[in-house]
Amino acid sequence: MENKNNPGRILLTVSFILTALGILLLFSASKGITAVQTGIPVYIKQIIWSFFGILLFSWLKEFDYRHWNKLAHILYFVCLILLLVVLAVGTGRAGRWIKIGWFNFQPSEFTKFVLIIVLARYFSLRDIGRFSTLLGGMIITGILFLLVLLQPNLGTAFLFIVIFFAMAYLEGAKRKHLLILIVIGILISPFLWMGLKDYQKQRLTVFLNPWKDPLGKGYNILQSKITIGSGGIVGKGFLRGTQTKLAFLPEFHTDFIFCLLAEEFGLAGVVALLFLYYVFLTQIWKISMTTQDPFGRLVGIGMMVMFLTQIFVNIGMACGLLPVAGIPLPFLSYGGSALFVCFISLATIYNLHRNTALF
Amino acid sequence: MEERLKTFLQLVKILLGIILLQCVNLQVFHFSYYRRMSNQNCIRTIDLGIPRGKILDRNGRILAEDRTCFNLVYVPYDIKNSREVATTLSDIFGLDPNELLKQFDKPSSNPFERRILKRNLTQSEIATVSEYAFKLPGVFVQAGLDRQYTLKEGTCHVLGYIGEINQDELDAMKDEGLKPGHYIGRYGIEKQYDDFLRGKSGGYQIEVDAHGHQRKILREIAMIPGNNIVLTLDQSVQEACINALENRHGSIVVMDPRNGEILALVSNPSFDPSNVAKYLKPPYSERTPFLNRVIAGQYAPGSIFKIITEIAALETGEIGEHDRIECTGSMEVGDKIFHCWKEEGHGWLDINMALPFSCNIFFGTVGAKIGVEKILEYAKLFDFGKQTGIDLPGEKSGNLPSPDESGGAINLAIGQGALTVTPLQLCVMISSIANGGNLWRPYLVKKILAPDGKVIKEFQPFVKKTIFISDETLTVLKRGLRNVVRFGTGAGANVSGIEIAGKTGTAQIAQRELGLPTRGAFACYAPADSPNIAMVVFLDEGSSAQAARIAGSIIKKIYTSEETQSETTISETQEVQFLPSGSEGFE
Repeated sequence: MENKNNPGRILLTVSFILTALGILLLFSASKGITAVQTGIPVYIKQIIWSFFGILLFSWLKEFDYRHWNKLAHILYFVCLILLLVVLAVGTGRAGRWIKIGWFNFQPSEFTKFVLIIVLARYFSLRDIGRFSTLLGGMIITGILFLLVLLQPNLGTAFLFIVIFFAMAYLEGAKRKHLLILIVIGILISPFLWMGLKDYQKQRLTVFLNPWKDPLGKGYNILQSKITIGSGGIVGKGFLRGTQTKLAFLPEFHTDFIFCLLAEEFGLAGVVALLFLYYVFLTQIWKISMTTQDPFGRLVGIGMMVMFLTQIFVNIGMACGLLPVAGIPLPFLSYGGSALFVCFISLATIYNLHRNTALF
Repeated sequence: MEERLKTFLQLVKILLGIILLQCVNLQVFHFSYYRRMSNQNCIRTIDLGIPRGKILDRNGRILAEDRTCFNLVYVPYDIKNSREVATTLSDIFGLDPNELLKQFDKPSSNPFERRILKRNLTQSEIATVSEYAFKLPGVFVQAGLDRQYTLKEGTCHVLGYIGEINQDELDAMKDEGLKPGHYIGRYGIEKQYDDFLRGKSGGYQIEVDAHGHQRKILREIAMIPGNNIVLTLDQSVQEACINALENRHGSIVVMDPRNGEILALVSNPSFDPSNVAKYLKPPYSERTPFLNRVIAGQYAPGSIFKIITEIAALETGEIGEHDRIECTGSMEVGDKIFHCWKEEGHGWLDINMALPFSCNIFFGTVGAKIGVEKILEYAKLFDFGKQTGIDLPGEKSGNLPSPDESGGAINLAIGQGALTVTPLQLCVMISSIANGGNLWRPYLVKKILAPDGKVIKEFQPFVKKTIFISDETLTVLKRGLRNVVRFGTGAGANVSGIEIAGKTGTAQIAQRELGLPTRGAFACYAPADSPNIAMVVFLDEGSSAQAARIAGSIIKKIYTSEETQSETTISETQEVQFLPSGSEGFE
């Protein structure tokens, strides 16, 4: 515990650096945005979110992670309600927020955390080797998946599926069973495709050839690639990015925050960020490996998968490797909901580590 | 399970590694490409157009210059909703929305560049555009240059006009910094001296946001002005010609017979150099407004050609100064009868009287004596059938026929054969008579001045050739020409106080048979004893007497004579000249 190299401490340090970096990037971005911002600048808001996030963390790190196990049913139920409310009254670009005062609450973000808890509980209580267990997990996940997909929030919905499969696989599910589930998923997907909104279909198709229409639908992918590429090895310098400042990228303070980093700090910044994330992920991995509690280990695995997927999908999207899916970059992207979920997850892992270390 | 978790750590490395590789790919291997793209994204260039030098008359009066105007421009990249913008613009300007859409959606090499949609907005149009600005993202009002011509239509055939560069020209001139939307000289002096007049375009590099709105100016590229051109043209002479011609179709060219400087050049119908498009369409286009009749109108010279016949006759000695021929009003050649314009005939006359009265029988008889070859030889001596070499594009050379195709000696001798000339060729010819044999190359540009006033190029008069004409011949001829105006067919040109010498001509007499109006012409010089003006007036419709009167009035104005124009002794003289009774007979 007092060891300077202990995973918990490193985890904390890394996430605080990332949060600070996020604020720094948003500050840089704020020098440019004119249309988006009304009133309080984005980076100020993010500082406020971070403050609350850290407060939330310092309270939850004392909150025994095993309590989450008991709360799983309630959390799942609350999530269902919130997602239904969003579908009914949702606001925002893709209708994924609930406006509470000046706080745009985004239930789908919290659903990620809740899904991990619920699946961790579910898998820890059943025999993962049985197909029925997987099918049950699939249904638990599927309900949330559908509700988020309908928002429509393709990226987060996809994230749920990844979390489910990864947790099941890492917990020891049979490959054959997982393959059957994937085949079922593929068979269902045409029906899902028909259910997709046009802009989602477009995003997927244009992803295949964004150069076909650089001024229209391929705009986001193209612009983010230009932004990253133009940063070069050392970047344009802090506050000196031109692309992101000039609002060429919509949502760049949320979905495309990586571009900002890549543009202003170049490949050097990218390497540093990836290193931080690598360290972050390996610490969660270490904690998950050392814990003896199946629920705790599953929570750790789930968090690891969630963070890795978000990192890979978000940056992969910005780099033009994946479709524009609207998944925030952990600790960096602007947004209270996303940041809170990061800090709640961090607190849970931190507590898990503390409990593991105490054993 | 442990195994899978260990593999998972490898997956973390692989996924982060993929991202890293892609970033290396973008930021290292494709860095220059994306950096360039990035610069293009937020940098718009605002092109203010190419400034052109002034065109001045010989006394430094401005004939053409650039003025600031306001243009409607658009940035293809910034027009996100082209349909809405097109609809709004068509409502404001009455432009065809489909045409606009086509223009907006046209793929462009640089969609970040401002293009001109409509030039020269009026104040109210500017106001309307700013009023609807919110509906017109990517559309702006921008300062530009508008070419102004002081005399408008009056100098259109001299100065020409400018027009937007086309793709072929762009390909050919891409090294000169020309871009789509730039204007180049299309006609006249503007075309001929385009390289000198054309400066370098200037503009701004601005940084814009995603809506295309300017945030700041990054760089300013100053325009480099073009050179100024000083013409030989005299604005007051030009104006005198414009006013004298009124709206008759025809042409007038005034030249200094001592050096070939063109003092005035007018061709009617004309066009508005600021609104060329209008004249390219019917009904305007039907009147051939773009034909510069002075240099590209090719007409039978009519009786003016008798000057050449007279020189040929006297120089070859086929006829003496006092040899007389009787004009009975008609003559028989083979089975054909030729008529003089004066039905009752001129009676017995020598060359001194034949020229002033423009007797067709006399010159026809003389022409037959000299022969086709000899007449054509003299015509060739005066460079008929050859371009004069004036510094204007589009000059025609007229037609110097072969002896077989000339229409025969008689027709040729009186200027009704196959030989055709441009008014300018006649002007150069009459000038050479006036100056005693020097065939000048006519020219319009005196000098080219750098913007700072330094002389870049100065053009000197150039004698193409000196024709040897004996003093005796010249004396007889000049006296004859003077008498044309004193009491002959060109008496209409008589102006008291100034001695004018000239010769009338009626071209394409065949038109009369068809009921078409005659084409009257008058070539002259003044003052008769020391000429400093040579002029040719050609009327598409009208008599040579009318042409003479127009010439007279111009010369009078030039010398600002206060005396009123003397009454003409012979009014409305109609020259009716040799007419083959069977036109096929002389082929």
